[in-house]
Amino acid sequence: MTFPSMILEARGITKTFPGVVALRNVSFAVAAGEVHAVIGENGAGKSTLMKVLSGVHPDYEGELLLDGKTVRFDGPREAQRAGIGIVHQELNLVRDLTAAENVFLGREPTTRWGLIDRRRMNREAAELFARLDIDVAPDQRIGHLPVGQQQMVEIAKALSLNARVLILDEPTSALSDRETATLFSLIHRLREQGVGIVYISHRMEEVFQVSDRITVLRDGEWVGTVPTAQAARDELIRMMVGRPLTSFFAEDERTTPDERVILSVENLSLAAGVEGRRTRMQNVSFEVRAGEILGLAGLLGSGRTEVLEALFGAYGDRTQGCIQIEGRPVVIRSPLDAIRHGMALVTEDRKASGLVLQLSLRENMSLPSLRRLTRWGMVDGARERRLVDEFIERLSIRTPSREQRVANLSGGTQQKVILGKWLAMTPRILLLDEPTRGIDVGAKAEIYHLLRELSLRRVAVVMASSELPELLELCHRILVMREGRAAALFARENATQEKILHAAAPGG
Amino acid sequence: MPRILRESLLYISVIVVFAAGCLAAPDFLKPDNQSAVLRQVSQNGILAVGMTLVIITAGIDLSVGRMLGLASTLAAMLLVEKRWTAATYFTVPAAAVSAGILAALVAGTVGGSRSGRRTLAVQCLAFAAAAAAVALWAVPQSRTGFSILSVLVLVPLAGFLLGGVSGVLISKCRLQPFIVTLAMMTSAYGAARLIAASSGSGYIHSLYDSQGNVPTGVDSLRVIDAAQLAACLPSWTPHFLSRSLAEGALRRLLENLPVPGLFFLLCLGAGMFILNRLRFGRHLYAIGGNEETARLSGINVDGVKIAVYAISGMLSFLAGVLACAQYRQGKPDMGAMAELDAIAAVVIGGTSLMGGRGRMMGTLVGVLIFGYLTNILSLRGVSTDVQLFITGIIIVAAVLLQEGYIQRLASRLRFRRRDKESFSRPI
Repeated sequence: MTFPSMILEARGITKTFPGVVALRNVSFAVAAGEVHAVIGENGAGKSTLMKVLSGVHPDYEGELLLDGKTVRFDGPREAQRAGIGIVHQELNLVRDLTAAENVFLGREPTTRWGLIDRRRMNREAAELFARLDIDVAPDQRIGHLPVGQQQMVEIAKALSLNARVLILDEPTSALSDRETATLFSLIHRLREQGVGIVYISHRMEEVFQVSDRITVLRDGEWVGTVPTAQAARDELIRMMVGRPLTSFFAEDERTTPDERVILSVENLSLAAGVEGRRTRMQNVSFEVRAGEILGLAGLLGSGRTEVLEALFGAYGDRTQGCIQIEGRPVVIRSPLDAIRHGMALVTEDRKASGLVLQLSLRENMSLPSLRRLTRWGMVDGARERRLVDEFIERLSIRTPSREQRVANLSGGTQQKVILGKWLAMTPRILLLDEPTRGIDVGAKAEIYHLLRELSLRRVAVVMASSELPELLELCHRILVMREGRAAALFARENATQEKILHAAAPGG
Repeated sequence: MPRILRESLLYISVIVVFAAGCLAAPDFLKPDNQSAVLRQVSQNGILAVGMTLVIITAGIDLSVGRMLGLASTLAAMLLVEKRWTAATYFTVPAAAVSAGILAALVAGTVGGSRSGRRTLAVQCLAFAAAAAAVALWAVPQSRTGFSILSVLVLVPLAGFLLGGVSGVLISKCRLQPFIVTLAMMTSAYGAARLIAASSGSGYIHSLYDSQGNVPTGVDSLRVIDAAQLAACLPSWTPHFLSRSLAEGALRRLLENLPVPGLFFLLCLGAGMFILNRLRFGRHLYAIGGNEETARLSGINVDGVKIAVYAISGMLSFLAGVLACAQYRQGKPDMGAMAELDAIAAVVIGGTSLMGGRGRMMGTLVGVLIFGYLTNILSLRGVSTDVQLFITGIIIVAAVLLQEGYIQRLASRLRFRRRDKESFSRPI
């Protein structure tokens, strides 16, 4: 069915990677003035489909139609020229260039002499920003902007080529609620201008809020496309996972922590300007008991990440404060010290600090445990394989083999590999920074169950998250951070989203 | 292109070069020629082994060529001069400190206890003992001229320290490896010239005396340069060993093995052992792949980096001693630009300059392709100028093949054709 209004249509797309079929005979179309959401679990093929649409993967089987005519883009530039703009999940901006320079990267307006016409560039960028109602100065350095505004610049960049189709891949994963609202109003305006928008997200509420139609993918296959008005949440989830998913909020397997304090932190502080971070951290104190899950809430940049990284020794001796583990004061000046004391840190950014993408699953997972697997400096290969296999099984990690390169695994699987990597060293204290960021419902549920299990095993867990429902569900107590300080501490029984948000708001 | 084919591409390319050699030059396959090739590539090979380790950590070591020259100067002076010279003043303390550091490291891993203070005490003791032992062993030799064995030990130890200095600057001061080793390259050359000129007889230190003979003490040097292992076996090994190996291929191979080649193969074996079996090797890959992840996984990133440059320094000094033996002289200019050959061999072998990926076997292949090509072209009487030109082309071609560029080009062409077919077909 090809309506004349369909701008971009994909027919029977099949895309294989070595050893994996990422997309199998998927068809998809987006009309002018439509917001078409694409949802599915991790590894369902959403991002791959978008990369086919935007010319990143030129070698696929099937057909792409632009305005009803067959096209094959040889690269992202050709797709751009044809009017298809994409904003990838990870921001692709040059931090040291200005907003205008980023928007016009690779096609800077030039003067007669072939030099960059900076004035014209800034003027055009300003016009573009004004048209999209984006509040960014064109000569502002990108690295100095908050993530939300960086995202806006990225969208402006994608639209600056008169894009008729705009693909947004998980655009809100790093945004605050207010920034998300700004983004949505921008999306509405673009829709009115007749731009076709493809919107990928894991967040159901957003999909319902913003989209006109919803397409569900599962395991690389098309499951169905429904108008949002007629879609029911449970039905969509069932389509995504292929089975009805019992809400993880329903079952009551609450754990109770011991009285025994495992980790006690007093006046943890970090001077301003360390590692280019503008957030300071001042006099943060808390205790975590055995089997307790302590939540760290707070807005982006409130110092949640800094608390975890400082505890883990990532800032060396620039961190001040007193840390006690099981009642004994310890000195932690490096991650190695922290690991020796039985701490583990699952960082926020899988690719930048969680994994070594070139290496195999096995090599990644055994990395912090190698010391234990070594005799006379030599790695005991058999023991290593046994350990890795054990955790592949325990975390039910879906992978062709333990020798698979982690770069080829999906986001949720990568996150499980990181968890496995740290659980393999049997930590007493587990620090988690946004452990469910950008992963699908199924994988989330598995991680929640895992955390419960760890709580039963009397591991002390500190978990930072920007998803409040998650914190309220899992944590025994929630520490709210605001501008580098501990603003409030709630026990779960009397914590609500409103109270936490109120405590987290700056100046509140 | 199937994965298995891509991975064996390396070996296929050696076979191709080898086959080309057999066809192009009748003398190519002769044992003498093969032995000569192995001997010729051994210096570059030893440098390339160290370079592979460095490049896997996403670093680079530009100093190895000049370090080789410095080492050859030191070795020649230590062997010939029968008094304290600048070479002695440089080598003996540096070697003593290196030995001390190595001993302290070993003591730290083996004798380390839970108490940090006690470990430190053990380490200090080990350092002092090892340093003193080296000093006591080396100092008396300065009057009689150093034995070849002590040169083989002391000079690489000194190189270990020098490489370690680069490593400290790179890891602790957060400087770029390119800049630091560039500086080390210049300074090593300067030091070599200073040391060489200090004895007042010019920059070149020949092992020959005024009558054109190699003095008897120094003569044992030929052992480490022998074209055939057999030539130096009897004096080293008990008689039964040479008899127990029956007359056969293995024995012929062993007897024809050039001693520098043996050194190269030993270094290569050690490199493979490091990369495939040791925790240290795994840490090299992790650091090269993602330094931040490595650090947060509890790897002592600074220590590993220092060690890897120290090893590279040690290997380049070993290559320097071998070069001194081969040319019967030591001079600062020896090994100029050798670092580039080593880097080229490593890259041809598929090790990524971005770090995190690479294999010793690939480096062996890279070194061999280099050696065989030069050899074949020489046998065919092609001039050195043309050889250099062709070598450049080979490097680019090899890397293009490695990066899968040619495969991508092929697959793209295939798609183009399919598209055209689908257009021409009536629908």
